[in-house]
Amino acid sequence: MANSMSIKGTREGLTITLGDEELGAMLQDLGRHLGMQEAFFRGGTVALRVGQRALNVEELTRIRDLLTEHQMILRTVVSANVETGQAAQELGLRNLADSMAIESTEGGEPTEMPPSRIAHGTLEGTRGTLVHHIVRSGQTVRHTGHVVVLGDVNAGAEIVAGGDIVIWGGLYGTAHAGAMGDISAVICALDMSPLQLRIGELVARPEEDDPRKPVAPEMASVRGDRIVLEPWQKVRGV
Amino acid sequence: MPTRVITITSGKGGVGKTTTTANLGVALANLGKRVVVIDTDIGLRNLDVVMGLQNRIIYDIVDLVEGRCRLRQALIRDRTTSELYLLPAAQSHDKSAVSPADMLRVCEQLRGACDFVLIDSPAGIETGFRNAVAAADEFVLVTTADTSSIQDVDRVLGILETEGRQVVGLVINRLHPQLVRRGEMMSPDQVVKMLAIELLGVIPETEEVLLANSKGLPIAYDLGTLPGKVYDQMARRLLGERVPHRSVLNKSPSVWQRLSFWRRG
Ligand SMILES: Nc1ncnc2c1ncn2[C@@H]1O[C@H](COP(=O)(O)OP(=O)(O)OP(=O)(O)O)[C@@H](O)[C@H]1O
Ligand SMILES: [Mg+2]
Repeated sequence: MANSMSIKGTREGLTITLGDEELGAMLQDLGRHLGMQEAFFRGGTVALRVGQRALNVEELTRIRDLLTEHQMILRTVVSANVETGQAAQELGLRNLADSMAIESTEGGEPTEMPPSRIAHGTLEGTRGTLVHHIVRSGQTVRHTGHVVVLGDVNAGAEIVAGGDIVIWGGLYGTAHAGAMGDISAVICALDMSPLQLRIGELVARPEEDDPRKPVAPEMASVRGDRIVLEPWQKVRGV
Repeated sequence: MPTRVITITSGKGGVGKTTTTANLGVALANLGKRVVVIDTDIGLRNLDVVMGLQNRIIYDIVDLVEGRCRLRQALIRDRTTSELYLLPAAQSHDKSAVSPADMLRVCEQLRGACDFVLIDSPAGIETGFRNAVAAADEFVLVTTADTSSIQDVDRVLGILETEGRQVVGLVINRLHPQLVRRGEMMSPDQVVKMLAIELLGVIPETEEVLLANSKGLPIAYDLGTLPGKVYDQMARRLLGERVPHRSVLNKSPSVWQRLSFWRRG
């Protein structure tokens, strides 16, 4: 287990650590995972940790192209191998020799997300982030864990969370909970008037000018294969 | 008082930045303040037209930053008020002729020489906007009550807040009171609530404003008109006076006004 591929989300982006397996198989695996979590990682930067493995320019290019295909940018290569380091430099990538350096330079609290747990189950142990201001048009909040917003999320703004989204305010923009495939994720808001809701792969758009829309807190969750809204109430026993 | 440099911006085009700049300039000058208004909409200048000064331009802001004239030579005095000056944009250059550093230098020269510098920003959030934003201490945002304009101003607010800049207030322009009453346009209250910022004033869509603009005599000179009065109030609010907002929606007194009338009696 110690030497299989892993994906770690940090506030700055993603750290992908290659394992010992054959490169082709590993990249196929990686592509599948990224495909499932596309919305979440889109536009993000990636640090690649390769350990002792020797990668030539061609192999590194393959990895970079795979990431580009999923709209991610390979920025840093962390390796303890001279050949890999040279290849990274040749491709104009930031090259870090010290495998411990990554945590401090990329910053943020890394959230462990082994691939086997990404697509299903809860994000146990995952942290969240608290946004204590209005989120305005053109702004995006992304976090691998839960997102809590104290303030409105305006039209044109976007929240993308690996876990739940709780908005103590109005949701007028777009919210994507469970963006890595967790369909048990929920979205709550005091005034639920979003442009669009997404949970996992499901998308919902509210009825235009729905007269039934209450001016009360609501919660969106997945029932069967649909996103449904219900009053957001005190959870019994909590 | 130290010079206050205020940029008037909106994101969306045509919502009334130039109109607001000219009228706030006139209203502040009417209150005895020395004001310089700067047009940064290079290639599409029209603050000069709204102020009726287009035939007096000899030098413009590009001449100034490229060293072809001194600041005093580029400033055009208003026809009516001796305390109001215009630094016009260039018509024949593109936006890249002026840089944010140039704007900082120009405003540095004006600091101490007047009470207010009002900068009329071009639409958008690119080069011209960057120039207009660079030197400002404070911002006045302009929007109409329609969704796309509000969303654009929200975007600008987000950018300014992220940069830690101070937004002093919102002008809601071109309001159609009938549409608001029929529930077909957002009310000023709703707009302010949505954007979560201070309201500076509300100007209705009127022929008076349009005609004043094309005559080159800003409506703020005519305190007998509703828009003229509102611009005067906006200027007072900028100066820190507490002026209650007058409703452009109800001509007849509201319940609250009637109550206070009876209490006074
Ligand atoms: N309250 C109003 N009532 C009627 N017409 C108005 C009002 N405010 C502005 N206008 C008219 O709307 C047009 C656009 O106004 P203005 O030029 O001030 O907008 P702007 O935001 O500066 O535009 P741009 O983005 O092109 O610089 C002008 O023709 C102006 O005369
Ligand atoms: Mg203009």
